[in-house]
Amino acid sequence: MSETNIAIRVEHVTTIFPGPVRALDDLSLEVKRGEFLVVIGLSGSGKSTLLRCINRLQDPTEGRIWIFGEEMTGAKGNQLRKLRASIGMIFQQFNLVKRHSVMTNVLSGALSRTSLFRSLTMRFSPDEVRRAQACLDRVGLGDRGGSRADALSGGQQQRVAVARALMQDPKLFLADEPVASLDPALRHSVMRHLEVLNREEGLTVVCALHDVDLIQRYATRLIGLRDGRLVYEGEPQGFNAHTFKEIYGEEAEVASGLAWI
Amino acid sequence: MSKGARRSAWRRVLEPFQVFLIDAGLIGLGILMVELLVISFSGRRSPTGFLLPAEEILDLLHYGRAALGAALAALVWGRAEGGVAISPGAALIRGVDAAGPPWTRTLRGWFSFLLAEATFFTGWLVTEVQLMQFLTQFDKAQDMVRGLLNPSSAVLHQGLVLLVQTIFLAFMATAFAIPMAFVIAFMAARNLTRGTFWSRSLYTFTRTVMNLTRAVEPLVWALIFISWVGIGPFAGVLALWLHSIAALTKLYSEQIENIDTGPVDAITATGGSMLQVMRYGVVPQVIPPFLSFTIYRWDINVRMSTIIGFVGGGGIGYILKPRVDLGQWGEVGTLVLLIAGTVWAMDILSAKIREKIV
Repeated sequence: MSETNIAIRVEHVTTIFPGPVRALDDLSLEVKRGEFLVVIGLSGSGKSTLLRCINRLQDPTEGRIWIFGEEMTGAKGNQLRKLRASIGMIFQQFNLVKRHSVMTNVLSGALSRTSLFRSLTMRFSPDEVRRAQACLDRVGLGDRGGSRADALSGGQQQRVAVARALMQDPKLFLADEPVASLDPALRHSVMRHLEVLNREEGLTVVCALHDVDLIQRYATRLIGLRDGRLVYEGEPQGFNAHTFKEIYGEEAEVASGLAWI
Repeated sequence: MSKGARRSAWRRVLEPFQVFLIDAGLIGLGILMVELLVISFSGRRSPTGFLLPAEEILDLLHYGRAALGAALAALVWGRAEGGVAISPGAALIRGVDAAGPPWTRTLRGWFSFLLAEATFFTGWLVTEVQLMQFLTQFDKAQDMVRGLLNPSSAVLHQGLVLLVQTIFLAFMATAFAIPMAFVIAFMAARNLTRGTFWSRSLYTFTRTVMNLTRAVEPLVWALIFISWVGIGPFAGVLALWLHSIAALTKLYSEQIENIDTGPVDAITATGGSMLQVMRYGVVPQVIPPFLSFTIYRWDINVRMSTIIGFVGGGGIGYILKPRVDLGQWGEVGTLVLLIAGTVWAMDILSAKIREKIV
């Protein structure tokens, strides 16, 4: 398989936090272009750390990471910002700028290609504003651009976050438990957008998830982490109560098809 | 790992010295206070026939001998083992068993109790507390109180004019301080300066300079600026300005340290530069508390500007001081009422505005 078919290559990555805690322990994996990879594991198993290491919100202590053949680890300054701009990320807590309008939040996805003066004075070019409106339309919030971000519901806020990431025109999408703080009924409203991006536009998605039904519906491949090590790798169809216990430990139960850890 | 090990090795070496210093300090303090109490109750009189005043007693104490005695006692006590006899220094540095005996059963407990008692009585003597005078000599202040209660209108006009100057003095000092404090606060916020050696040094430097600036009272700064730019309100503006920068920097930077890191992560993840992350991830979060702190600071500055004139810094204090010295209590009463009214109004105003913002 040629190098260009690999979206993310993680080689022997170890991340140690003061404590010391080994959040990732000599982890190696590959994510192919166009995959919808779901990462599962208990809180503290290293899911978040893995995602944050991929776009260098967290620096790994050891090891190397490549994105589409370009090395992420060791990148600095403009190079690092350019690489980060090609990776969209959404978070469990949405992380919108609450006091800004929805529109400004989406526009902030364009910061990496906006001049310092324009960005500090918040005067984005009409072109970018049109693009931001298009991104908002895609997540079904075209009419909410003028609202303050914290006036929206949780599900809507997460869709704004998706629009902000789309504004980056990313090749890769990271999602750190994107629906964990949403009502179960609203989860698909966010996941569906990730699915469309993945199936129709071939975007590679890496997503940390907890719900068994979401995993089986959206994932094309599944990995399980435990204490920062890879303990499971396989197709979502092969994922059952037995493998579930293998990853989450003996105490965990699959409750009526839904498991919230 | 190795760093932690090295630190604990250092701690083992340092510990006995720390214990000794704390013990010797406390025992020395105790010896000196007991000596002071003994001298003052011995009824010794100065050559003029009066009882010795506090400063003369303080001058008579045997500091060298007390230090020597304290050092020896600390050496002995520091060697004590076990929960009952353990010294205060050892208890503080090494920690004590929570389930140890109650303080009434330990040497350290009684020592601390007696030290606290001695401190109170020593304080009573050193500050020359005179309860009888306080309770029986109110008539001596009658003139002054009567004057304050019967304000004279002679100074009302000048007082009102200078009151306007006082409020503007406070306003200008605050206005000049805002932009500087805003910029410096980002350099003095721990969470933004963790990255490199240089940013950590910048943090330490700004924090130190700001703490020193804040430690010097505005009245002292006013004296410095008066010799710099001359007597008048501008010296007062400069004094309050400098002090306000330091105070606002502290308040602002603590606010920056308490922000939600989520938006900072999100903007960093979009590929934003450091300044863009500040503009979009940090600034929107800190604007409301900054406004609130700034209005609070203006409130404080109005208070301070009423007395900065005492040393020549302009404002209403400038005409208050000579009237106090000359005993023109009626006019003093007018000015004090004006000041009190202003401070009271600012207090309410700033509380109302801050309520609206947050």
